[in-house]
Amino acid sequence: MNGKLGERVVRKDAFDKATGKAQYVADIRAKDMHYGIVVRSPHHAAKILKIESDSALAVDGVVAVLTSEDIPGEITYGALIQDQPALAHKVVRHIGEPVAVVVAKTKRAAQKAKTLIEVTYEPLPSIQDPVEALEEGAPKVQSGGNLITEYHICDGNLETGFAEADVIIEDKFRVQRISPGYLEPESSLAEYKEDGSLKVWVSSQEPFEDQHTIARVLGIDIEKVHVKSAVIGGAFGGKEDPELQVLAALCAWKCNANVQMVNTRYESFVGHPKRHPAQFQYRVGVQRKSGKIVALEATAYVDTGAYASYGPAVAGILTETMAGAYHIPNVKVDTYVALTNSPLSGAMRGFGAPQSHFAIESLIDVIADKIGMDPLMVREKNILKPGNKLFTKVPLDETALALPICIEKSKEARERLSGIQAPPGKIAGVGMALAMQSMGLGAKIIDTSSHRLEWLPDGRVRIYLGAPDLGQGLATAAEQMAAEALEMPYESIETVFVDTNLTPNGGVTCASRMTYMTGNAVIRAAEKMKKDLLDDAARLLDVDIQSLEYRDGEVLKNDGTRIAVGEITSRLAEEGKAIIEESSFTFPYPEEKTPDHLPIGMPHVMFVFAANVARVEVDLDLGTVEVTHLSTVNDVGKVINRLGVEGQIEGGAATGLGYALYEDVALKDNGQWVDSFTEYLLATTKDMPEIESTVLEIPEASGPFGVKGVGEIVLVPTAPAIANAVFNATGVRVNQLPISPEAILEGIALKKY
Amino acid sequence: MQKLSITLTLNGENVTVDCVANQTLLDVLRDELGLTGVKDACGGEGECGACTVIMNGKAVNSCMVFAGQADGAEIETIEGLAKGNDLHILQKAFMETGAIQCGFCTPGAIMSAKALLDHNPDPSEGEIKEALSGNLCRCTGYKKMIAAVQLAARGGKADER
Repeated sequence: MNGKLGERVVRKDAFDKATGKAQYVADIRAKDMHYGIVVRSPHHAAKILKIESDSALAVDGVVAVLTSEDIPGEITYGALIQDQPALAHKVVRHIGEPVAVVVAKTKRAAQKAKTLIEVTYEPLPSIQDPVEALEEGAPKVQSGGNLITEYHICDGNLETGFAEADVIIEDKFRVQRISPGYLEPESSLAEYKEDGSLKVWVSSQEPFEDQHTIARVLGIDIEKVHVKSAVIGGAFGGKEDPELQVLAALCAWKCNANVQMVNTRYESFVGHPKRHPAQFQYRVGVQRKSGKIVALEATAYVDTGAYASYGPAVAGILTETMAGAYHIPNVKVDTYVALTNSPLSGAMRGFGAPQSHFAIESLIDVIADKIGMDPLMVREKNILKPGNKLFTKVPLDETALALPICIEKSKEARERLSGIQAPPGKIAGVGMALAMQSMGLGAKIIDTSSHRLEWLPDGRVRIYLGAPDLGQGLATAAEQMAAEALEMPYESIETVFVDTNLTPNGGVTCASRMTYMTGNAVIRAAEKMKKDLLDDAARLLDVDIQSLEYRDGEVLKNDGTRIAVGEITSRLAEEGKAIIEESSFTFPYPEEKTPDHLPIGMPHVMFVFAANVARVEVDLDLGTVEVTHLSTVNDVGKVINRLGVEGQIEGGAATGLGYALYEDVALKDNGQWVDSFTEYLLATTKDMPEIESTVLEIPEASGPFGVKGVGEIVLVPTAPAIANAVFNATGVRVNQLPISPEAILEGIALKKY
Repeated sequence: MQKLSITLTLNGENVTVDCVANQTLLDVLRDELGLTGVKDACGGEGECGACTVIMNGKAVNSCMVFAGQADGAEIETIEGLAKGNDLHILQKAFMETGAIQCGFCTPGAIMSAKALLDHNPDPSEGEIKEALSGNLCRCTGYKKMIAAVQLAARGGKADER
């Protein structure tokens, strides 16, 4: 039977995607469809003095120009803090902020009208650095202070810890702003219905939240807002923010029209959230002989841009992972999240962990160099073990056994890769990094995921999947798990994608936990389905229920006869009945694992682990780095679709490599952000190394079939592994991402003199 | 803006379409002819390869071709590859190897691969990487895409080397 757990399974939507039939939002055509185009701020900060739209409105086909004055409900929204205006109100706070939307009957009319809208601004002083933003006298981004969140966590006694150390190391690290970089730009189509309701097509990680946000901004009941997921062209965290669906809904509502909105890539760069840039200062105390890290003090400054988005939550995981996967007895970490006049920073794959891991995993190699110990040995001596507590006081369970295996496999990979000679003119180096990534939204945040199963008259089963498949293959995993739970072939399961009118609320697809959540809910629903089936079968066959059992996807009578499920469900259909069961699963935060001294959203209590070993070749004349090999170890709990897991690992490697070497939404000398794929370099076929993957399957007790998660961890160790490999090759430590040829050449030059 | 009428041999059929002079081939295919398998991911800047079609035997970014330049040309898009449910070998290979995740870059990548195999049925790994180097993908890390092209080049048979 195809589709068994752990096999390489071909996803069912692959046919439509391979033939061009798959309908993403921008491919859907509504009747008499209008087009909305956003006018965005060209300033980092400015007062809006006047918006002149008469000449735009005079263009043939233009229906409306909407500004914040046209918003019927709340102007602002936000996942954690409602501070982000749907359209800028009196001021703009970053380049790319939406100021107005023009709605027209044709794309060309909308494009022409956009150029005729005259906005008069009075530029204001602005700030782009999170450390400077917190200094006294810095320009205020919003009306309050620029500090929007701070976290301070202590464990042990720092003074005692440093007193026990004989080596003290201080270092600074800096990571850049990067784009989720999904290929499908943000897009939405809002259809205005004659009954005064809206149907909004989205490319979103959380359609049920979108429904609330749209209702909030329009000031209408959520029952009037029907949100439906189209095929989604990648998300990676970036599609947790609802900017475009809110604006499309506003346009449709105000114009009584069907309105499509699609961002250009420029708009996606400046208008939509990115990975948070951060700056770290570390001070660690180490015992030279034992290699034990006995004290760690670290401060992080996190830049969340002009509005909060998911900044406070991202900074939470960033804070929790600042000591990496290590057991350090004395820890003090302080994190400050600052507003700046920059494009928003929000959720992105890894959610704070990639930032911290670049710092701590680089630092481990710095320690190793300083005390003359093998970097893998330093890791081995300090890793978390089952029963250890993190500095958040969260105890680790048996799943931490993945860490020593990660180190062991990395040793083997290092051995192998170190034997490969570099070509003339280049020097080779090998480096590794460990990683841990939490699963789940965090304690004290409601995290329940509901999904529904229905037995169809022909005996097939339909999943009403309550959470979006972002392209990673959630539906395939759900179908495989439903098939396993119901002892049916994978081919007999189909999926209805998330739709606020049709499916239960499965929550937001994020935090490496959607397969875990969905699987648990589906298994529970399947158990109820089987019981319902036997009840109905007993009634319809007029036999005692004790004489029936469910086996191998059929009903088995105690006289040995087998009855196909379709025989029962088709008779139920004739009665106008069906077997339908909905089930929910709530992410567990067991009391003993959830100390309550931490702020909301903390701590996280379930973890996945990984290691990367990178081999690089550095060109000594150009300073360029080529990653030739990447050996990965990932503990995923249990593989459901092996093709899917491999796809996450390989795709994660590409994003991790881009983070390490190429990607940077930098502020250029001309005052503009890097805002196109010409300057913002995603890894291409030619940049990719040989990838070898080891997948560990250490089962999670609470997981469906032992499943944990794989979506984010895959890229967390990549950038520090590459940085450590560059150091191994050149002796140059680059503490800032992306690792630039200039930094390497400068480092080499400094070493020579 | 000057209006014009262009004639294409589109997926084997003659098509005449009215457009305006500054429309690109991408605009015409998506907006005028409804071929939405041709994707736009970079805003028509020629940066991402999602709108790749085959024009007179060569893979091109259709956003970099003015409609007028395509007049009289033979154009192949993703929509023309399968005959009903009978998929092109590249489509099957992309599906089977797991080269498709979100799928947004898939049509462009398959068309780049087809242009390669049409001219070079037995390409080296380097030649495949070169042919697909203009097709950005954020999901797959390209490894399975390259494997898909190799699988198709072997006629869909497993690698026995």
